[in-house]
Amino acid sequence: MKSARCLLHLQCLRLLDRSARSAAQCAPLLQSSSSSQPSVLHKNQHQLLRQFHSSPAWSKSQPTPADDHKKDKSLVTNDDLFEQVAKDVKVKATFNKVVDVFLNRDVRRRGHVEFIYAALKKMPEFGVERDLTVYNKLLDVFPKEVFVPRNAVQRMFNHYPRQQECGVQLLEQMEEYGVMPNVETKVLLVQIFGKKAHPVRKYQRMMYWMPKFKHVNPFPVPVQLPEDPVDVARFGLARIANDLDAKVNVYQLPCTDITETGEEITIPHVVGIQSPSQMELLAKHNPNRPVFVEGPFPLWLRQTCVHYYVLRADPPEEKVEEPYDPERSLYYPLQLDVDFGRDLGDEENFDVEDLDEGPVFAMCMTGRGDQATLNQWISGLQENNPMLGQVPTLFRVNAGPQELSASADAESGQAHRPDTKTRSGEKLQRDGEPGVIVEEEPQRRQGRNQ
Amino acid sequence: MLLRKVTQSPALCGSILRIPPVLSGGQRQARAVVNSRLYASEATQAVLEKPVAVGSHATAKVEKQAVSIESKSFAVNIFKGQIATSQVFPYPSVLNEEQEQFLRELVGPVCKFFEEVNDPAKNDALEKVEDHTMEGLKEMGAFGLQVPSDLGGLGLTNTQYGRLVEIVGSHDLGVGITLGAHQSIGFKGILLFGNPAQKEKYLPKLATGEHIAAFCLTEPASGSDAASIKTTAVQSPCGKYFTLNGSKIWISNGGLAEIFTVFAKTPVKDPNTGELKDKISAFIVERSFGGVTHGPPEKKMGIKASNTAEVYFDNVRVPADCLLAEVGGGFKVAMNILNNGRFGMAAALSGTMKGVITKAVDHAANRTQFGNKIHNYGAIQEKMARMAMLQYVTESMAYMISGNMDSGATEFQIEAAMSKIFASEAAWNVTDECIQVMGGMGFMKDSGVERVMRDLRIFRIFEGTNDILRLFVALNGFQNAGNQLKSLQKALKNPLGNAGLLTGEMTKRAKRMAGLSTGLTLQGAVHPELAHSGELTVKAVEQFGIVVEELLVKHGKKIIDEQFVLKRIADCAIDIYAMVVVLSRASRSLSQGQATAQHEKMLCETWCMETHERVMRDIKTLRSSDSARLFKNLRTISAAMVENGGLVTPHPLGF
Repeated sequence: MKSARCLLHLQCLRLLDRSARSAAQCAPLLQSSSSSQPSVLHKNQHQLLRQFHSSPAWSKSQPTPADDHKKDKSLVTNDDLFEQVAKDVKVKATFNKVVDVFLNRDVRRRGHVEFIYAALKKMPEFGVERDLTVYNKLLDVFPKEVFVPRNAVQRMFNHYPRQQECGVQLLEQMEEYGVMPNVETKVLLVQIFGKKAHPVRKYQRMMYWMPKFKHVNPFPVPVQLPEDPVDVARFGLARIANDLDAKVNVYQLPCTDITETGEEITIPHVVGIQSPSQMELLAKHNPNRPVFVEGPFPLWLRQTCVHYYVLRADPPEEKVEEPYDPERSLYYPLQLDVDFGRDLGDEENFDVEDLDEGPVFAMCMTGRGDQATLNQWISGLQENNPMLGQVPTLFRVNAGPQELSASADAESGQAHRPDTKTRSGEKLQRDGEPGVIVEEEPQRRQGRNQ
Repeated sequence: MLLRKVTQSPALCGSILRIPPVLSGGQRQARAVVNSRLYASEATQAVLEKPVAVGSHATAKVEKQAVSIESKSFAVNIFKGQIATSQVFPYPSVLNEEQEQFLRELVGPVCKFFEEVNDPAKNDALEKVEDHTMEGLKEMGAFGLQVPSDLGGLGLTNTQYGRLVEIVGSHDLGVGITLGAHQSIGFKGILLFGNPAQKEKYLPKLATGEHIAAFCLTEPASGSDAASIKTTAVQSPCGKYFTLNGSKIWISNGGLAEIFTVFAKTPVKDPNTGELKDKISAFIVERSFGGVTHGPPEKKMGIKASNTAEVYFDNVRVPADCLLAEVGGGFKVAMNILNNGRFGMAAALSGTMKGVITKAVDHAANRTQFGNKIHNYGAIQEKMARMAMLQYVTESMAYMISGNMDSGATEFQIEAAMSKIFASEAAWNVTDECIQVMGGMGFMKDSGVERVMRDLRIFRIFEGTNDILRLFVALNGFQNAGNQLKSLQKALKNPLGNAGLLTGEMTKRAKRMAGLSTGLTLQGAVHPELAHSGELTVKAVEQFGIVVEELLVKHGKKIIDEQFVLKRIADCAIDIYAMVVVLSRASRSLSQGQATAQHEKMLCETWCMETHERVMRDIKTLRSSDSARLFKNLRTISAAMVENGGLVTPHPLGF
């Protein structure tokens, strides 16, 4: 009975919320769920509402519709508070101001749990999601010593569960963003919840694991990626290359020119990387077999996605190994029959450049993935790899990334799209260079390449 | 000091003889071996019937056999970190009284012949063995030492053969090569693989020296790579003869020989696939078949007395009867001939060393400088002592291997290769030091050492260069160690069924980790007076076994490409074998109470001390991470030189 009431109560709330505007829409829904006439329902509803009003028990724990409305509003105000106070600039100072406003508004700090939840949600917006002091300040919103259990029974049961849960949630968010709590956090938590409360336990666990994992990643990506796309490309390429000797070359710096006719021409950046061993591989490449420029392939650096292109070749033809002739060497065996099974602790090093699916000779990142730009890269590479002059180069570039990034940065995506269309339509053939052949990449290849 | 010890020795030895019952037991065993000894012709046959687990034609099947049957060879076992004493202790004494008597009767006249008739300097100057010397050798039967007596030879065992070759080696290596090319490799093929008809047809004339034989394997494009042999033998459609075409270079006795053992490629149908494949076959080719010609004698650095020439085969019609073994079986023939002949080199070279050492000692004892005989100076003393040790080791090795062969051992190939490597290098060092001791005198032609030095140089090169034989030694060892590891791995799959084996291995490894002895010991085999040297040897074997296993686990199959490592491993193995060989011989001398026993003990102890050091150093290098850098450096330096077409560094003066 109670649950049925609750259900009805909720439905009423929904109805109130949406008002008459959506009543027509709601009607069939209600019909199907309760199979009663809407008018009857309305009548019931009024009755029920009255009932709620009269029940003091309910009004205490469950907000009455009127209260609820107000509370709901106040919940919104918590969000609104942030919107109001920090209308134009969303930075740490304004965030702190919001917290201060909340603290000064009410001595009892009514609704602090809701406020903290709202604040946690807003943190990334204000760019303070990795700021320890802000978290501590938020923790400070909790009233002190109120929630500390005072006797064994309280200690045994979950004392002030909502508040504890909120505290844990806050710590969890810190954990998620990799913010390690400090002593101040601990002091606050102990003050608020007592020594053995769930949030303090959570804190202890964090302090056990987080220092262990703090530097565990040998290839950390900085929190703040460089702004300059060239620097991002440099970083991304070095990250893929896994070779300290690999050299990053900037073949073209991005710049914007305005031609005489007033047209704006942007020159995209072209940044490439090549290691000495890749150069060696390329030098050994059979000039009769083409090399391919392929891409773009995505590389995620935290929230940023960049795309790179590779210069590669097909795997060399199967090396026909001569069967071992035991009657070859008169004096010593040319082969040993000691094949041990694999074992734990075996070295499993492999070459990252000379792969079974074909060697990778170089990689690049560019602002614009069209062939002309990539050609800049290839001709730049040619300076150090004279071999490239003799090898036919095929461009197997597909339009994938633009579509992918279209949602991310719509303006640049639009700028690229016509470009790709012309490419696919006309099948661009570089006239200047005989060695360069364009191969149109069938769309289905994408899956295989990426 | 030394003198005093020697004078004490009879008394000492007497007491020793009473003390160790084990050794006298061993002695009895040796005698038993003597009684069941095989006569010469049989001995050579027995040697042939070994499992062909040698070198490259070790087929998988044979290897499996080898796994199941524990190898008795000492050299094979040290790669597994084990000690197999059966072939090395006690030092083999395989001659029965009759044979010993026969040999005694031979040694005198042969010595006399070489001292009085043969003139090595003249042979060297003439660049041929003088005719009357040849005649004399033929009369003595020196051309048929191991041919059975019913076919006109002397029918000597390997040990007897070694003893006579030693005399030849100590006087004239040029003659030695002429004889060796004739019987050690030239017609050994007929002796080992010939059918009765072939033996009867060829051996009598070869044994008397009426016909000289030569061994034709090397070609301009083919040294150790048998696949690049260009000489072909095509069977006629009727199957009655083969047509032989091609040319061979650097053939010892090429200009004198009447009978050639020629290796040529013949197309053979693979029984499984039906594919035609070129395989090597061995033929007996007579000069009288027609079409066999030879070039002028080659000008050489040493062994000038021996004839070396190119031999050409131009459409030689070889009857099918002259095929050795079966068609396509030439590889086996070549392998066995070479493996069987190697111990002889060690014997000959121990004689050579003996010869030059005599000269050096003579000089050191008589030459006076600053009022003192030069043998009083430490610098000379060290040289002399080292020369003596090297000779002692080589000699011990040669006769241990010949003894093993004569007592029917089937696994002596690694040891034979080791002895060839060791002997050729020891002889080179000894002769070099001999010249050094003699000073300017040694450099002069008249002293006769200069010729020996020139003659010796080829021994590190032919019949498998030492570098290649080192690979053979190391790789063969690794193969055996690998088989053992593999069987262990297999055992691990069924730990309950192999509990005994596995617990044994585990305790062994645990002991190794704890730095304890794994229970290997030479106690009981080695004479108590040499216990310390024995311990050193055991330690070396233990460490060697560990490092071999480590390397095998580290490199696996690819160990074959790690020649820097292989070379060092082979060196260690040879050193360890040398240690155990001298231990064995010195132990025998001590327990027999020979007059020189104390001197031998000293040689043995000194050798073991130094060698142990050397082995440990090598093992340390192999285990350290620095070795990888060292090998890489060496590789890089060499590559730079090849790229530069010579030295890379500029002249210090800048021009």
